[in-house]
Amino acid sequence: MVRNSLFRKSIRDMQNAKAQFISIFIMAALSVTIVTGLDSVWKTVEDNTNIMYSATNISDMWVYVSNPTEKQMWSISRIQGVEHAEKRFTLNAKSDLAGRPTLKVYAFSSQSALDRPILQQGSMRSKSGVILDEGFANKHGLGINDKIKLKLNKKWTTFTIEGLALSGEHIYSVKGTTMIMPDSSKYGFMIIHEDMLKGIYGQKIYNQISIRLSPGADASEVKNEIARVLGDDLIGTIAKGEDSSTNNIYANIGQFRTLSTIFPLMFFVVTALITQSTMFRLVENQRGQIGVLKALGYSKGRILWHYTSYGVYMGGLGALTGFLIGPVFFTNLLIPWLQLNLSSNQMSINYVNLAYSLLLILACTGGISLYAGLKLLKDTPAFLLRDKPPKEGSHIFLENLPWLWNRMRFSRKLIARNTLKNKMRLLMSVLGITGCTGLIVAAFTLSSMVEGIARYTYGVTYSYDHKIILDEKADSRYIHNKGLDGTVQQIKETAIEIIRPGGIRTMEQLTIFPLHSPLIHLQDVDGNETHLAQDGLTITRKLAQTLGVKVGDFIELKHTDKSYVKVPIRQIIYMATGQGMYMTDEFYESIGETFKPSAILVKWNQQPDEAFLASDYVDEYVDRVTQIEDTKGSTQVVYIAAVLLIIMGAILAFVVLYNSSILNFSERVRDLTTLKVLGFYQHEIRALVLTENILSVVFGSIFGVPLGKFIADVAASGMNDQLDLLSHIPFTTVVISGAITLLFALINNSVVAQKMRSLDMLEALKSVE
Amino acid sequence: MDFITFENVEREYHVGNSVIKAVDGISFGIHMGTINVVLGQSGAGKTTVLNLLGGMDSPTKGRIMVGGQEISDMSEHELTTYRRNKIGFVFQFYNLVPNLTVLENVQLAMEICEDPLDSKEMLIKVGLEGRLHNFPSQISGGEQQRVSIARALAKNPEIVLCDEPTGALDSATGRKVLKLICDSAESMGKTVIIVTHNALIADMANTVIHMKDGKIFGIQHNESPKDAEEIIW
Repeated sequence: MVRNSLFRKSIRDMQNAKAQFISIFIMAALSVTIVTGLDSVWKTVEDNTNIMYSATNISDMWVYVSNPTEKQMWSISRIQGVEHAEKRFTLNAKSDLAGRPTLKVYAFSSQSALDRPILQQGSMRSKSGVILDEGFANKHGLGINDKIKLKLNKKWTTFTIEGLALSGEHIYSVKGTTMIMPDSSKYGFMIIHEDMLKGIYGQKIYNQISIRLSPGADASEVKNEIARVLGDDLIGTIAKGEDSSTNNIYANIGQFRTLSTIFPLMFFVVTALITQSTMFRLVENQRGQIGVLKALGYSKGRILWHYTSYGVYMGGLGALTGFLIGPVFFTNLLIPWLQLNLSSNQMSINYVNLAYSLLLILACTGGISLYAGLKLLKDTPAFLLRDKPPKEGSHIFLENLPWLWNRMRFSRKLIARNTLKNKMRLLMSVLGITGCTGLIVAAFTLSSMVEGIARYTYGVTYSYDHKIILDEKADSRYIHNKGLDGTVQQIKETAIEIIRPGGIRTMEQLTIFPLHSPLIHLQDVDGNETHLAQDGLTITRKLAQTLGVKVGDFIELKHTDKSYVKVPIRQIIYMATGQGMYMTDEFYESIGETFKPSAILVKWNQQPDEAFLASDYVDEYVDRVTQIEDTKGSTQVVYIAAVLLIIMGAILAFVVLYNSSILNFSERVRDLTTLKVLGFYQHEIRALVLTENILSVVFGSIFGVPLGKFIADVAASGMNDQLDLLSHIPFTTVVISGAITLLFALINNSVVAQKMRSLDMLEALKSVE
Repeated sequence: MDFITFENVEREYHVGNSVIKAVDGISFGIHMGTINVVLGQSGAGKTTVLNLLGGMDSPTKGRIMVGGQEISDMSEHELTTYRRNKIGFVFQFYNLVPNLTVLENVQLAMEICEDPLDSKEMLIKVGLEGRLHNFPSQISGGEQQRVSIARALAKNPEIVLCDEPTGALDSATGRKVLKLICDSAESMGKTVIIVTHNALIADMANTVIHMKDGKIFGIQHNESPKDAEEIIW
């Protein structure tokens, strides 16, 4: 059979150039693995989040207001765009478990329709029963019928766990200022029956309104209407997406979306270049065979398909492998590290991008092969059957620089001419090395950025031993009179509603402390020491970006129980974590508020005052060392990512360098043999072939640095909205990344040198090429 | 005393399961500064002789001495040094480096040896003064072979080895190339060994070694070798 014999030929051709075709396969597989893998990470997160949002019937907006009246509720439900509104009560409460973890308590009535939990086990059978966060329960070894004690309204109340559940509001679950990454053992949620509130507070109380918007409603318009209805009673509104859970999920999705688009590009291009170099050479070497096939009467189409099929087989096989590996591997490896409490991790695949990547990879392999075939096919069989015209040498631009050219040794000239003659090969290896160095730089930068969070926040910004969250009854005077043996800094942390330029309402963190604080050391965006502005707001760089504001802009702040006050932004500072607004206590009082500390920072002169820490006046405390450890522990995902990046970089480097060396070598076997016969030593010949790789490493490493910074920035931007990661790349990182890349190149070179040893002088000289 | 001696030299090749004796126990001697031809049909083993002498291959048995040095038991590195300093090669297919110009091809060889001659002078000597900056692909076959000869001689080797130097050339060009090899070698006192299947070339040699099936079946000494230009084929 005609077809079979050509097929057999292609299989044998591929066997003869094993290394190259395996490389094409690896690169195609890697490209598709990365696209489909990263794609299915965000798609899986998005789909499962949406499943949970609809299963929990999550609200579109939450309004903070203390005990809204029936009239206010009625008015809100009449607002254009509000479909449903209901009251609820929610509060952070301390539990009696080890480490005193906090639970966010939600009080529900049987009529509550919004923000329902997704029950995983049991159900709320009695009014004294509670439903507990499943992840939290697991971490603390709690189950159905176990008891849990919570401090509510200054009293400890015991509840019986009757159900375990997940919540749409706690998919990404962080408490606030003392926590950077989710940790189910320290923070969770609990649902109690609203009738229980009567026993605890003496009456039914509410502090939130959950709102479901009608489809297409304008959230910021609704916010304005709500502000109008509630007037001074309003504390603030948060739309879905502005809350930290949804915000972080969207950031994760966005991050993987961006990475899945830009990141694999490099791999596709390298695939195309490897195919190009392999197929052009193969077709060129087979010009005689093409002539014979044509002379035998094979149609153009058949010959073209024959050569196209090489790429299609490898590309198709690679794509299939990539598709089989990518989604499973990436979702299983990465999603657990996102620390999301999803009801299901059912993998989703983004078929649209899968189709695109399949087409793209086939274009990079089959398409390039087709092009290689077309190049020769237009010649007549008679021309093809004749010997190939001899290889031409040509002058290169370096020769126009006599001061350089005349000083070069001949072996150097040979390397220069040869390298510049094969620009595509050089492009391939430089690009591959750029990618490799970029990935390594990104890996190191990401790790150091994340290490920098702890170092910066707890090494530069804050110098306290303990951060102590105070109970409501502790005030300035009490702290003052207490006379703790150490440096004490009172601070107030609160969330307030703001109206930013353009009239958009959001809730942001506001922290208040004195102008000169011995325990807080602020820095501006350039790393210079600075202080709070005395006559306005100081805000963090990342928040300024999010809000789209700059120094000189005005922001309206919601007064407690009063209307808004317009304050100017005077200063932008850099904070690694804890994005928000800052002002001095004097300025805070000057706008008519009262400074009452919510927390103190303490640097003890001697031992910590354990009696004070255990007292009723202290709600919660954390020491700096623990905060550093926690931060490091919760950011370990970055190290996994770093290892992954370095592995991908290594594959990229080895594949391109091995290919370009083998191509370089086999294209020049005859020249090299001549040199060997002339009396060149093995190491001199090796240098002729392998110096080019070192050249690629030099250029690639240089281009790799900005690429690495870019990858690191994208990866860092989606990590957490509370983090502001500065990706400045220290010189040592550049050197180390370059050294690792060079190491890869040297390993490759020694492998290729082994292959070159077997160069048979006698064979290569016998025949004309 | 002979400058070059082969003593019972054997070279076996293993091809699959069978063993082929390319050279089967040959012995001969060559005087310094002479022109010698190894003559035989293809497969006679003459190229193997050239490869052994050129240090590109080592015998399985026997001894090869060059200028009092035994080259048959040298390591690969020693052989390379030997090729570097003692041997000039001229190939049937020239084997110029296509990426280097004519001048650079000659300089390339000089760069590595101990006592090279001036490359430009050598090229002028072979009549290529107008082609110095051309690439090999831009000149004719005869010219390429002349570059190859210049390259071999510029290394100032003791021995010039030529493998079918006229094999790819027409007879007129071939004759000129042969004359060039012989004249230059003679004037510079080089020992020349030419391997060929062309019996007519033998007339210009001082010594002709006839080979067949890996064995020598005759060594003929010409009292008055012909000038290369008198040979007709």
